[in-house]
Amino acid sequence: MNHLCNVLYVDLKEQRHEIVEVPELFEKFLGGSGLAIELLLNECPSGAGALAPENPVVLAPGPLGGLFPSAGKTVAAFKSPVTGNLGESHAGGRLAVSLRLAGYGALVIKGAGSSPTLLEIDSGGVSFRSALPLKGFSSLEVERGLRACVSCTRMQSIISIGLAGENQVAYAGVNVDRYNYFGRLGLGAVFGAKNLKAISIVGSGSIEVPDIELYKKTFKKLYSEEVETDKMAKYHYTGTPANVLVLNEIGALPTKNFQMGRFEHAEAISGETLGNDWLDRKVSCPLCPVGCMHVARLRPAFAKGFEYEPVDVYHNYESVYALGNNLLVKSAEEVLRLNHQANVFGLDTMLLGNVLAWATEAYEKDIINQTHTGGIMLRWGDTDAYLAMTENIALRSNSFYDKLAQGLDQTAEAYGGTEFAMTFGGNGPAGYHTGYASVLGTVVGARHSHNDNAGYDIDRGMLHRKLDVDRVLKELKKENEWRYLLTSLAVCLFARRVYNERRVVEALKAVGIERSVKELETLGANVYKRAFEFKFREGFDFGRVRIPRRTFESVTANGRLDETVFRGMLERYVKTEFGANLRK
Amino acid sequence: MSSHAKIRLEHQQRCIGCYNCVFACSIEIFSQVSATRTAVSLKPCSLGDRFVVSICTGCDPAPCVAACKPEALRQDKDGKLELLKPSECERCETSDCAEACMTNAMLIDPKTNRPILCTQCGKCAEACPHEVITYKEGKR
Repeated sequence: MNHLCNVLYVDLKEQRHEIVEVPELFEKFLGGSGLAIELLLNECPSGAGALAPENPVVLAPGPLGGLFPSAGKTVAAFKSPVTGNLGESHAGGRLAVSLRLAGYGALVIKGAGSSPTLLEIDSGGVSFRSALPLKGFSSLEVERGLRACVSCTRMQSIISIGLAGENQVAYAGVNVDRYNYFGRLGLGAVFGAKNLKAISIVGSGSIEVPDIELYKKTFKKLYSEEVETDKMAKYHYTGTPANVLVLNEIGALPTKNFQMGRFEHAEAISGETLGNDWLDRKVSCPLCPVGCMHVARLRPAFAKGFEYEPVDVYHNYESVYALGNNLLVKSAEEVLRLNHQANVFGLDTMLLGNVLAWATEAYEKDIINQTHTGGIMLRWGDTDAYLAMTENIALRSNSFYDKLAQGLDQTAEAYGGTEFAMTFGGNGPAGYHTGYASVLGTVVGARHSHNDNAGYDIDRGMLHRKLDVDRVLKELKKENEWRYLLTSLAVCLFARRVYNERRVVEALKAVGIERSVKELETLGANVYKRAFEFKFREGFDFGRVRIPRRTFESVTANGRLDETVFRGMLERYVKTEFGANLRK
Repeated sequence: MSSHAKIRLEHQQRCIGCYNCVFACSIEIFSQVSATRTAVSLKPCSLGDRFVVSICTGCDPAPCVAACKPEALRQDKDGKLELLKPSECERCETSDCAEACMTNAMLIDPKTNRPILCTQCGKCAEACPHEVITYKEGKR
């Protein structure tokens, strides 16, 4: 592990940096989520505002980053402006490898700059440069501008925010190397509040391995499993939008703000249609042979005479659900245009989609009208209206959009319509209208993300069968904990079937880290507990989690959900895992 | 013309930018992961553009060998580059060899300030999931 026990501390206000060695933290948590949450617990003062300078940003790659396939995620930990509590978001791209090749095991950013700042990080340390020339630029423009064309013999990562981040829209994301995002929970707004426009990290060093033969052997094993078995086939071929038709078939495709589970135009926005008609190429993170990033090509005409502008749009299932079926947007091209608009301004496509869905329904129900929307007539599936709304949110162009920019819970509280404001634990749900485990999983996951425990998978395993509460609770606990082990190694969750217990032990051993399966399981469970320690410290209360009434009215793939049954499941899970009773 | 296997860029357009070739090379030559100490490089200007993989194709005759004033560098009949006189190379303060490379494939190791020589071992091709680089025998 040697030099990778370094944490690079950056103070934006004082424009100083310091490298601190904390081998005991790396020994205990290995990296990724475990390390990032621990650093957040240490560095974030209790009660700090998400947009206050005291809120630190922690970025942590994992111990396998740059060494093995599909293990190059970076975990960001911060206080979230979306939930006012734990912010944890994961991104791929070149960030993890760049940080490690620059010699850093983690990065902690504190304070706020007095003007827009560009951080340039390499093995020699940090330079603080004015980002005024980049102000107002989209992340796509920043990436193109800062990518060094001259020297290719180094690994460079560029992460940045767009206008939504600059304007501190609560669910602004941070773009990583053009096609990756810290999409969830508002890291972009935190960057904006810190006046941090972009970071360029250059890794020109090396990572050594203790036993080269063992390393090569282990690498080959993992690589072969990824390319020669079907364990990652879905991500490689159709990509995650393959879910559209699969979920539609079982009635789990959220449609019209979760009113229904089937969309009549599912075929037209499916992964298959995207692949046949719009896909341009696939892009990969370093050392991953899978290439899950599906990039579509649009060619909007900007003038007469075959004048086309080539536009590349990274897309995935969650964006298609949030900006497609759930808004009744009925063509792949329109979904891609909306997705691109979100990318240009730098917004979380998922919560943006939930916000737009709420707004459309609120407009339909006369809760809001054209005086709020600035003249926009809002109808289901109206792409042009959604494009305009997205821009207005990013610019916070009037008091209504300013409220939308604060978040969906905040908006519904101010205007009404909470019964169809679709958030769980403050975060917008993923696109799985599958049943109890999906909703419960989102509530009891530390990030309130489907990736915490994949409750939707448990639901799919129980289709048309009697609800087995014990099984749901047991599997959610197991996934919550084991996934925290994987994300502490910063292994990509798409590779979770490759990185089973045995392979994880082997991979760690090959880089000089000896751990038993039991020890790893304990670490995962411990990280899950530590995440909730942060959440409870900052006021999280399971008894006060808002579950919108729509959840119990609309029909999921497993039928209509009963609120009493759901509350009972939540109560049991919380009592068993956290020893706490829910307050009424 | 050699019949020994050589690496070549076969399907450049299929590159997904995964760096497996780059790191397979740095592992083979230096036993470490590096994007700097490697004979294979990946050049994206912006990730929005196509990826450009840069490899030594073992050209014959090799301009890098011809440009080496102390005649320290040679190429064997299979295209493999070798350093005949390491001490001469070490004394050299120019990088004529790398500059002579038409495709800028030859890189200088920043640690030793000497060229990183491709041995046509084929590890980069073996690591490529999309046959961007292939390793084949026969005439180019």
